[in-house]
Amino acid sequence: MSLDILNHEPLRFLISFALILFLVLNLAAILTLAERKVSAYIQLRYGPNRVGPRGLLQPAADIFKLFTKENVSPNRADRWIFLAAPIAMFIPAAAVWLVIPFAPEAVVADLNIAIVFFIAITSIGALGVIMAGYGSRSNFSLLGALRGAAQMISYEVPLILSLLGVILLAGSLSLVDIVNAQSGGFWHWYFLPQFPMFVVFYIAGLAEARRVPFDLPEGESEISGGFMVEYSGMTWGLIQASEFASMGLISALHVTLFLGGWQPPVEFLDLGNFDWIWFGLKTALIMFTFQWIRWTVPRLRMDQLMDFGWKILVPICLVWLLVTAGVMLII
Amino acid sequence: MTVAFVFLTAMTLISALGVVLSRNVVHSALLMSASFLGVAGFFVMLNAPALAAFQVLIYVGAVTVVILFGIMFTQRPQVRRFRTIIQKQHWPGLFSAIGVGTFLAYILIIQDWGYTKPGNGLQEPGSLGEILLGVNGAPPIFGLLFEVISVLLLVAVIAAIVVSRRKTGEGVDRQEVDG
Repeated sequence: MSLDILNHEPLRFLISFALILFLVLNLAAILTLAERKVSAYIQLRYGPNRVGPRGLLQPAADIFKLFTKENVSPNRADRWIFLAAPIAMFIPAAAVWLVIPFAPEAVVADLNIAIVFFIAITSIGALGVIMAGYGSRSNFSLLGALRGAAQMISYEVPLILSLLGVILLAGSLSLVDIVNAQSGGFWHWYFLPQFPMFVVFYIAGLAEARRVPFDLPEGESEISGGFMVEYSGMTWGLIQASEFASMGLISALHVTLFLGGWQPPVEFLDLGNFDWIWFGLKTALIMFTFQWIRWTVPRLRMDQLMDFGWKILVPICLVWLLVTAGVMLII
Repeated sequence: MTVAFVFLTAMTLISALGVVLSRNVVHSALLMSASFLGVAGFFVMLNAPALAAFQVLIYVGAVTVVILFGIMFTQRPQVRRFRTIIQKQHWPGLFSAIGVGTFLAYILIIQDWGYTKPGNGLQEPGSLGEILLGVNGAPPIFGLLFEVISVLLLVAVIAAIVVSRRKTGEGVDRQEVDG
């Protein structure tokens, strides 16, 4: 029996799309557990430890609870927008995973403009937040949505600018080319020549994923959950899934752009087709630092947030872009 | 291919109709983004992924969000009902629609499309950049436009700084109250 038929166009894309969805949803489920475990260990607690060995089956219990919970929507909500918002938030977060190379030859769509695709799709994310906030017709939601949209639009600028250095060095917009250009040991990875951009992308990525210290749109102590305050049951679950998926996405892109993607740190550790293990390890490490920051750093104020984005991150990016371009002209 | 074409056409046209018929401004804006997404899908079908990505980035991502921001900041929160009135100007609307339609149809018909087929345009982002900047033998006209747009963006950035600048003395009162 030949499996070649699976490698032809409509079928190949459908199968890999299903696999990507499977990966993203499971990632979100595992990250909910990881989030609670990390927070517990940071606060000297045990965290969830009743369901399964050491609480490992907690996500399954959570999903079961979310599915059986009633899906309440407020009476005066704009029903269609209210229900479409979680989908509009989840699909962009899942779609960008299509262009990420997991291992050599293992990428669903090798676009030659993968980075532009990423930028374009992330810009839709703000739309989902606005839809959620407006659709709920609640003041807290609207406040959270306005904060979220302002924050995501502002931090998209340093996020995009920090990509330009890597694009200059690699001379390509394709993520596969960028990973290939970083082969041959960790001293070839772009985080060394692009260290300021590496830091800026990390911080702007935190803000894009709406994680602490940039979680003003959620702000549970001031606006009690922000744009997602009215959601319950599986719609809420989908919003959470999209938050975790976008966090994983930012980590994966950070690894792909600056930490060599699936490239092993030294060449004799090359695992061939199993190089996705390196990719997974590095991404998991970045995701752990995201969670570490979440449970140790307080939230910023709105004006501090804006000042930080526009007055510190953007100038750093521009200066380092000039430095990179100048050095490339001279060498 | 045909299925995708029918789906995209229906999506674009139905949401475009929704934009003009909806009485809710926010619904109109969101439907407009759906319509733009349909157009981006057409670009993908015509083998122009870069154009599709920029369509999504600029129209779906930026323009719609700015419109939504405008709506949410201009309406007073006490009367946030987001209603508009359907314009009853049937005849001017009909005439302008016919005029624009005739103009576009005329352009489409006089052009000889025999030599074009989808997917034979430039695929490499590098060559797109060269044409834009007018280097390596590309016509320099786009380079001029590129510079003009840069100046426009610079003006916009400076204007944003001027508009949002804190006046001297603003915020001082509150600090005194706090102290």
